[in-house]
Formats: sequence, C-alpha cells, structure tokens
Amino acid sequence: MGVIDLIGVEVRLANRTVLDNLTGELHGQAIGLLGPNGAGKSTLINTLLGFHLPSKGKARVFGLDTHQDRAQIRGGIGFMPENDSFIGNMSGVRFVRYMAELAGLPSGVALERAHEALFYVGLGEVRYRKVNTYSLGMKQLVKLAQALAHGPKLLILDEPTNGLDPVARQRMIQLIKDIRKEGSIRLLISSHLLRDIDETCDEVLILKDGRIASLCNIEEERRSNRSFMELETVGATERFSVSIRGLGCECATFPGGRIKLVIPDHIEVRDLYVIASEQGVQIRRMNQRRDSLEDIFLRAMDNDEKRTANGRL
Amino acid sequence: MAVYKRNYSAYAGAVTPVWTRVLVLARYAFEEAWSSKITVGLFIFCLLPCIVSLVVIYLADNPIARALIGGRGQQMLAIDAKFFLKVLQGQAWLALVMASWIAPRLITGDLADNALPILLSHPISRFGYVFGKFMALFTSLSLMTWLPCLLLFVYQGYSSPQPWAMSNLQIAMGLLAGSVIWISFLSILGLALSSWVKWRVVATGVIFAAVFVPAGVGAIVSAVLRTRWGLLLNFPVMMSNLWQQLLGAPPINERLVVPTMPIVVMLLLACLVCVGMLNKRIRAREVVRG
Repeated sequence: MGVIDLIGVEVRLANRTVLDNLTGELHGQAIGLLGPNGAGKSTLINTLLGFHLPSKGKARVFGLDTHQDRAQIRGGIGFMPENDSFIGNMSGVRFVRYMAELAGLPSGVALERAHEALFYVGLGEVRYRKVNTYSLGMKQLVKLAQALAHGPKLLILDEPTNGLDPVARQRMIQLIKDIRKEGSIRLLISSHLLRDIDETCDEVLILKDGRIASLCNIEEERRSNRSFMELETVGATERFSVSIRGLGCECATFPGGRIKLVIPDHIEVRDLYVIASEQGVQIRRMNQRRDSLEDIFLRAMDNDEKRTANGRL
Repeated sequence: MAVYKRNYSAYAGAVTPVWTRVLVLARYAFEEAWSSKITVGLFIFCLLPCIVSLVVIYLADNPIARALIGGRGQQMLAIDAKFFLKVLQGQAWLALVMASWIAPRLITGDLADNALPILLSHPISRFGYVFGKFMALFTSLSLMTWLPCLLLFVYQGYSSPQPWAMSNLQIAMGLLAGSVIWISFLSILGLALSSWVKWRVVATGVIFAAVFVPAGVGAIVSAVLRTRWGLLLNFPVMMSNLWQQLLGAPPINERLVVPTMPIVVMLLLACLVCVGMLNKRIRAREVVRG
C-alpha cells in the first residue's frame, strides 16, 4: 500500500475529461506533482481531498477511499491551497486555532498548537494581527501553519511558493525540507516550478493533459545517470585509465589528460582519488554530470508527445 | 512543536468526535456574529418591546393599576392570545432585521476570502458547514423571539391572580412553534441569499427585498386576477395567519385569511429553493464550464 494509490482514476468536470486513467502507487516521503498549467495537478489534489468524485476508477490515501472515507482522510491531511484562502477578519492565531479545532483538536490544545505552528513558520510576532493585513508571503505561511497545526499524516501543498519573492521562497523551501526531515509527515507538493520539486521531493509524478507522463523516484533516476564523469588529469594518465578499467569502469582517454568514464554503482568517487594518489596522478577537474529534474521532465514531455503521435498514426 | 524550540512535532493526543466539529463551526460563527457592537445594540433595541410587554402584564395583573386605569383600560390590558400574537409579531419582524444583519456576517466573509477550500478540507461536510452557520443564526434569533415570549408567558402565569398558564397552554405552544418556524425560515433564507452576494450591505438589502418584494408582486396578482391566492407570495400575511391559528387568536382581518395548508406548502417550497441555492454555492471548488 502506497501513500497514494491511483487505480484508473478518471475525473470529468463540465463534460470534459480532466484526469484520464491515472494509475500508479506513490510511496515517497515527499512526492512532487509536476506538470504544465492545466495538466490536472489541482484536480488530482481536489480528488484526493474528496472534492471531486472520480467518474471511473478509485483513488486511495493511506488505503482509504477518497470518496467513501473522505472525512477520515481529511482528518489526517493538512491542506495548503494554491490561492488566497483564509478568514481575513480573524487574527492569525485565532484562524489557525479554528482550523485545528475543525480538524479535531480540543480547544485548549488547538490554541497551544496554533501558537507553536505560527512560531514554527516564523509568524510568531504577527500572530495577533488580522490575516487580511498580512503580506502575500505571510498569507502563504499562515496557510502552512494551519495545515500543520493539527499534526497531519499527509501535508498537501498546492503551489507553496506561488507569488513569493526569492527570500520568502527560500524560507518556504527550507521549511518544507525541515518538515520532510522530521519524518512524521508525508508531503505531496504540487508545482509547475521544477526547482521547487527538485529541492524538496524524492518522488515525482508528472502529469500532462490529465494523464501520467512519468512517475519516477528522483533519487533513483539520478543514480542511474550519475556514472557519467569527465576528468582532467596531470601525470600518468594512461596507467591511471588502465587501473580505473580494472575497477570495472568503462573509460576513454583523450589528449590533454582528459578522461571520460562511466562508473558502476558499487564504485565511489573516493576510489578514483585513492588510485590517483597511489599513481601520483593529479585530478585537476572533475565534472560529474547528474540528470537534473529538468531532464526527467523534458524526457517525460517528449515521450508523451511521441506516444500521442504514435497513437494518432 | 514548542514555541521556544521552533521545531515541528507530530500531534499524538486525543481528537474530538467528528459530530462535534459542527458545534465548533457554530461557536465561531456565533462569536463572529456577536463581535460587532451593532449586533449588541440591535439586540438591546429588539428587547425593548418585550420590556414594554412586561410592564403591560404587570399593570394588567395589578389590581391598583387596573383600578386607576379604569374601564376602557381594562380592555387594553387584556392578556390573552391576541396580546401574545402582537408580541410575537413585533419580535418576529425585529428578528427579520436582526437576521438581515447577522446572516451576511456569517457567510459572505467566508466567500469573499475564498475560505471554503480550506474549511471544507477539514473533516466537515458542506451540510455540516451550512448547519453550523444555521445553528449560530437560529440561536441568535431565538434570544429575541421564542425565549423572551415564553418568559413573558411564564411571568403572566406567575403574576395572574387566577390560574392562567394551564388553561392557556396553547398560547405557549403557539409562541414556540410559530417562532421556531419563522426563525428557521429566516435563517435558511438569510444564509442562502448571503451565499450569493459578496457584499454584506447588499446582502442585508437583498434579504429584506426577498421578504417584501414578493408581497408587492402578490398584491398586484391579487388585484389584477381578483383572487386571494396572491397572498401566498406575501410572507408577512402568511406568517400572521399561521401565528394566529397556532395561538388560537381571532383573525385580525377577514379579507387576509389564507388556508393553512397552502401556507405550509409555500414555506416548504421557499426553503427548498434556499437549499438549492446553498447547494449550488457552498462548494470547495467551482467548476468553470465551457
């Protein structure tokens, strides 16, 4: 059982298929939901929250059906919506307390956790100000605080860095990383910004036109491509390359002491330094090419287009 | 999580039963409604007629006062179904003023701030949300309709020299039933109309209009078609008929008498329309067609 299970989920809104036959299991600690605008990211989140009923298939969160068990699911979810969504006439602490009480915390505990959540996100000093006087960044943070206050099992963040300046964005990303590190909460982060997902998530679901374009573990994807490396060396390059081949690496030497190699999984970069040191070779430059999330995303978009074209043919 | 540590920790304590979340909503809505000084001022104003009625009951049950007022005053000071009908009518129309002030405060704010996605992402249904707001409005209106009316009834029963309460129990039942029907209708009407208007002042006007504009249309229908059925659009007349029958008071105006069943059907129809309006509007997400 994954955190989120999608079994042929189809969602139709206003006679239009918005999500089309989504199938997959999401297991990650922090799951990124990527896709261009209109890909169906928010619709998928709304379906997981039980706001939309799938016309076909089933979606499950922690094994619970998103329609039949929606009250139970919502009790264990913290949701930070994409757009402004708050009660402007309330003070920050009262708003967060209200949301925590709705999630099931007793009144006194809710107040205590509201104060703590607001300090945690960095709004401690302004917690008695009315929410409608907050800046855009503060409003994003108060939404995060209300999503955290009741201690959810799954935190759903819909475009958490929307409209934030670089400093505020960095702060939000750091908070998300801290929450992930703490380990008790699973995260589902929707964004169209690759960098946000790249920095915070370990698994990514890429949507395009309501379909799954790719579902992959970012770490594994990177690991499968981490072996490609370029070295610039000074010294006995040929002997060094023979020794490297002896470790099991594929490698090619070029003039000027340049070596290109592919390292198997069991070989660490440190091993190369050890051999270089033994043979008196200086490694002047090392360029380890990693597959960025952008590569994964573009590949997924490309594959999807090819698939569509083949389908049409 | 601790303020001084500024780190996150999960919550492992007990949670409240799901059914109590509606009460949380009602409590916060009630507090929001009564946080305004205008609400408190209006409430005090709405209780003034009850205080006058209290004085009238005191005078009616006081032999010295009756002797001083004389024969003509004896008729004025008769405490019967007609007297309580007038009290109920007065309080009911003041309740309309109060509902038109409070109802928009409960819903339009949430809609203007787009709070529904965040509220409904918690374990509370759309019905629970509306019911919580309904409870807050119903309770607020109860404080100025059936509660003071029944207190007046109890006071009359206590201060009357002859046994009075038991022989006039229909009045108490009528006060309770008539008030509950009216404030339930007002609450659902107020919430439904407020959910469609984002500005509080406009919503207040719309609630008044929803009660009085159909009455005008009904009067035109009655005049043109020479029928009484136009009165079925006239909520003030319909409710007066209903209250009069519930309290067992004589009809105030023979020309304005409408049978009870059509009144009940009209009220139910109006409530159904309101429920439809709320169902259309109270959603976490709006589906844009096209």
